Amino acid sequence: MIRRLERVEFHAVGTTCAAAVTSAPGDSGRAKRALAAARAEVAACESALSRFDVTSDLSRLNAAGGEWLPVDRRLVEVLRLAVRARETTGGRFDPTVLPALIAAGYDRSFEQLAVRVPRRANGWRAGAEINVDAGAGRVRIESGAAVDLGGIGKGYAATRALEAMADAWPGLPGGLVDLGGDIALAGETPERGPWRIAIADARHPGTTAGILALRSGGVATSGRDVRRFGPDASLHHLIDPATGAPAQPGPLAVTVVAPTATDAEAHATALAISTPEDAAAHVALHPSIAALYLPVDGEPVELGPLPLARRMLLRAA
Amino acid sequence: MQRVWAVVLSVWAMLAIVTVLAWSYRPVSTAAPAPAAQTLVVKGPNGKQQFVVVQPGAIGATHATTSTSGVVKP
Repeated sequence: MIRRLERVEFHAVGTTCAAAVTSAPGDSGRAKRALAAARAEVAACESALSRFDVTSDLSRLNAAGGEWLPVDRRLVEVLRLAVRARETTGGRFDPTVLPALIAAGYDRSFEQLAVRVPRRANGWRAGAEINVDAGAGRVRIESGAAVDLGGIGKGYAATRALEAMADAWPGLPGGLVDLGGDIALAGETPERGPWRIAIADARHPGTTAGILALRSGGVATSGRDVRRFGPDASLHHLIDPATGAPAQPGPLAVTVVAPTATDAEAHATALAISTPEDAAAHVALHPSIAALYLPVDGEPVELGPLPLARRMLLRAA
Repeated sequence: MQRVWAVVLSVWAMLAIVTVLAWSYRPVSTAAPAPAAQTLVVKGPNGKQQFVVVQPGAIGATHATTSTSGVVKP
């Protein structure tokens, strides 16, 4: 039986997205339903979680002045996961960096960013309180704080979209959701093998730093190689919660493999502002993740057992 | 009669030569050259450098690429 990849591409969450399913002859209707479900779920996540949409639940929460607010279940869940990620990363991932991010100049959707001189966020501090009442479907953040889900939202949306495909197609043989490089995947490819994910080499655009082979989980990459802004594109969007400014230490890019795309993106965000030594210590503390750390200068560093495809170790120097 | 046999034999001989030539002919390959293996220098957590070769087959067929998110052009 010849199987093939049914795939759809679309624009959402500020980037280029794709969803794909493994499909056999006769599966066409199920494949179409699954792909439509993925796309709808990404749109629903964007509608609830975008800080650039003033009508989103996240924007309403940021304007709520410390009051409890009933919100979409997606925002409830992703805030719960974000709080957990803030704890597991020792605060290097912090969803409350939004005031510092805006002060640095990232104050509107990236493609609309004007060049302006950055300033400091007066009075801002990391670790603002976030309360989640999952049972009642409501959340609150402390007065004066504001949340940005840029370091976790796409991974969460990819995870949700993959689940939506599985719901739309019970027995889905395999599926993949790719939201601008934040990827959730499960099951088999049409060739009955693992999904093969190329890691773009941020040092040499257009080339690949390695190929991952995965049957489930998530992959995410964070870095300072693409989303740059401000005078002479001298700033990047990775705020160090310890300073409230674009991070000084950190790699050009880092790719993380984790059990879910949500986890992968949160850990990638944390490692993207970490020195190689701190990143190695972080991965050692979390055996469920592995990473490829591409320094600004020097050779890539493999952290944890990275599932590279069909590689052959020649020698250790 | 001898002339007839000579003609028959020469025809058979010619057919045999053509068959041998056709069987032994190997067309020149026009396929694109196979991609070379890609060497990746990786530094392990213990600081040691490792040279990793990603096989050509692994490079050829990927399902997605992870990278820092690009931006949709308006």
